[in-house]
Amino acid sequence: MPVIKNEYQGRKPDEFRILLGLEGHSNARNIQTYIEKGNGYKALEKVLKGGMSPEDVINTVKASGLRGRGGAGFPTGLKWSFVPKGPGEKYLITNFDEGEPGTYKDCYISEVTPHSLVEGKIIASYAIGAQKSYIYIRGEFHNEIRWCAEAIKEAYAAGYLGENIMGSGFTHHMDVYSGAGAYICGEETGLISSLEGKKGQPKLKPPFPAVKGYLGKPTVVNNVESLAVVPWIIHNGPEAYKKFGTEKSPGTKLFNVSGPIARPGCYELPLGYPLMRFINEDCGGLIGGKKLKAIIPGGSSAPALTAKECENLTLDYESIAGAGSMLGSGAIIVIPEDVSMVSVLENLMDFYAHESCGQCTPCREGTGWLYKISKHILKGKGTKTDMDRMYSIANNMRGKTICVLSDAAADPARAIVTKFAHEFEPYLKG
Amino acid sequence: MPVFSPELIKIIEGFLNRYETKRSSILPILHAIQDEKDWISDEDVDTLEKSFGLSAVDVREVLTFYTMYRQQPPKPYRFEVCKSISCWLMGANDTIKTLRLEIEKAEKEGRPLPFEIHGVECLGQCGYAPSTLINKDRHNNVTSEKALQLLKEYSAKELPNAAVHCAAALAAKANK
Ligand SMILES: Cc1cc2nc3c(=O)[nH]c(=O)nc-3n(C[C@H](O)[C@H](O)[C@H](O)COP(=O)(O)O)c2cc1C
Ligand code: SF4
Ligand code: FES
Repeated sequence: MPVIKNEYQGRKPDEFRILLGLEGHSNARNIQTYIEKGNGYKALEKVLKGGMSPEDVINTVKASGLRGRGGAGFPTGLKWSFVPKGPGEKYLITNFDEGEPGTYKDCYISEVTPHSLVEGKIIASYAIGAQKSYIYIRGEFHNEIRWCAEAIKEAYAAGYLGENIMGSGFTHHMDVYSGAGAYICGEETGLISSLEGKKGQPKLKPPFPAVKGYLGKPTVVNNVESLAVVPWIIHNGPEAYKKFGTEKSPGTKLFNVSGPIARPGCYELPLGYPLMRFINEDCGGLIGGKKLKAIIPGGSSAPALTAKECENLTLDYESIAGAGSMLGSGAIIVIPEDVSMVSVLENLMDFYAHESCGQCTPCREGTGWLYKISKHILKGKGTKTDMDRMYSIANNMRGKTICVLSDAAADPARAIVTKFAHEFEPYLKG
Repeated sequence: MPVFSPELIKIIEGFLNRYETKRSSILPILHAIQDEKDWISDEDVDTLEKSFGLSAVDVREVLTFYTMYRQQPPKPYRFEVCKSISCWLMGANDTIKTLRLEIEKAEKEGRPLPFEIHGVECLGQCGYAPSTLINKDRHNNVTSEKALQLLKEYSAKELPNAAVHCAAALAAKANK
């Protein structure tokens, strides 16, 4: 049983704002608003003029317990510390490929507070010694590309980017780069290949990007949200950040709710917030008072949980992992009682079969088969053997490939086939 | 008709010098070509090699890998409807079906509409489902009704420049 912190009782999500403080402001994206209303660029000033060394910055972020918000939850400060010290070309790349079905938080950050991202990137670049950084944005995000480019332009004009920033001797340049439609470019090595002007196929790790990344140089790839929260942490200190969240999952996180829910949207919550309270009270429950059947708690790659399994969960990495799923990108997809899990499976597998880059046989063939078999079953042409076959295909796709897209298709498939086996029976021929 | 307009050439040259390597400029250059011409032809790829020093093999690798690049002349408007899980839960399939039927019907009645309909993967707007794009314009919460209304709205507009350019280039070629 997770422990629900007392301080969440009787408080609304918007009392926990760290990242979305400018939400609802008429001119939120403007640098002047960010500076005047959001303590904008104060953290950068503290770093560059307050005598913080790159190590101090890394240690502060480490002490905050911030974990990567792109899906894997890897500690951000630790990742930065893997970059070799000393001179030489290094790069920081923001992963703004946001393509995981259910996820729309990074778009929201760029809509409400793009300067948090820009400032966070400058600070992170200082910490790892990067002279250049990119925001790699999905090609379909036309507005977001514009908003980020505009924020960068404003930051240059205000002297926060360019040569010798604030007279500190630190020089940094930043640019946006637009992808061209491929989910696999969200995987960090695929993203680096894409930025190099190649097809976005993932590469075997090690070497990890921190040692050998963009153009063979040390490179840190971080999610938009991971970087955008850095200025707050630096400005307010790691202890203030740790007041939010749980011991192992400190801080706040953005959660996106989608599916037939009364108040869908992007919410900032302290980690450890009770899942069902969030769904039923903050998001107003399911549309039309429908009954909940299942929740996908962390984007489409996270295995579905039954309504019963969700009852006592809290929204943090450990609680969701304990239930056999993952917090992932924080995208919560609600599935109502009247939707068949057989068709949910078919929809999910259609996505992964389409997005597999095809380099690894278990992934290319496995996603294809899972899609075909689930479609076959849905048409009433499947048999019991098909159920076993799906289960064994999914098992064979795990841990055998260059990237984890294969696992991201296999795990949700296994969960649906086992937890909702009874829903498949009426479709099977015998 | 020259392969690239003077404005486009300027943009291409800008991209060639913008990144650490010339190769990184391929994706942005292809986007820029599409913005002007609506699609990317063999002739465009050859020109990138001959006049701008980008290897045609490298360009083709990018052109064929990424779904946003069009290798055939398209209709003026691409109406893309997200069919991934969240939008699907909110009726994206109905929206797609309605659109396809309407396009078919119009075709039969001899008033073809300037649209292509595509079911696409997650557009990163899952809370405002079904999410769609018409060319570069985002439209959210696109139910069947709203979709039909959008068809009307866009049909009444003047065609986008890229579509006009594309049609003119094809006509010029046919006359040769
Ligand atoms: C198939 C696949 C798609 C991914 N898509 C994204 C994405 O869209 N955005 C993202 O930030 N991370 C994505 N990731 C995770 C990245 O590889 C990487 O772990 C992340 O960007 C690291 O940032 P963080 O440490 O700040 O979380 C994806 C991973 C895989 C395997
Ligand atoms: S696991 Fe799938 S997506 Fe990842 S590299 Fe292999 S084939 Fe490509
Ligand atoms: S699932 Fe449709 S926009 Fe994400």
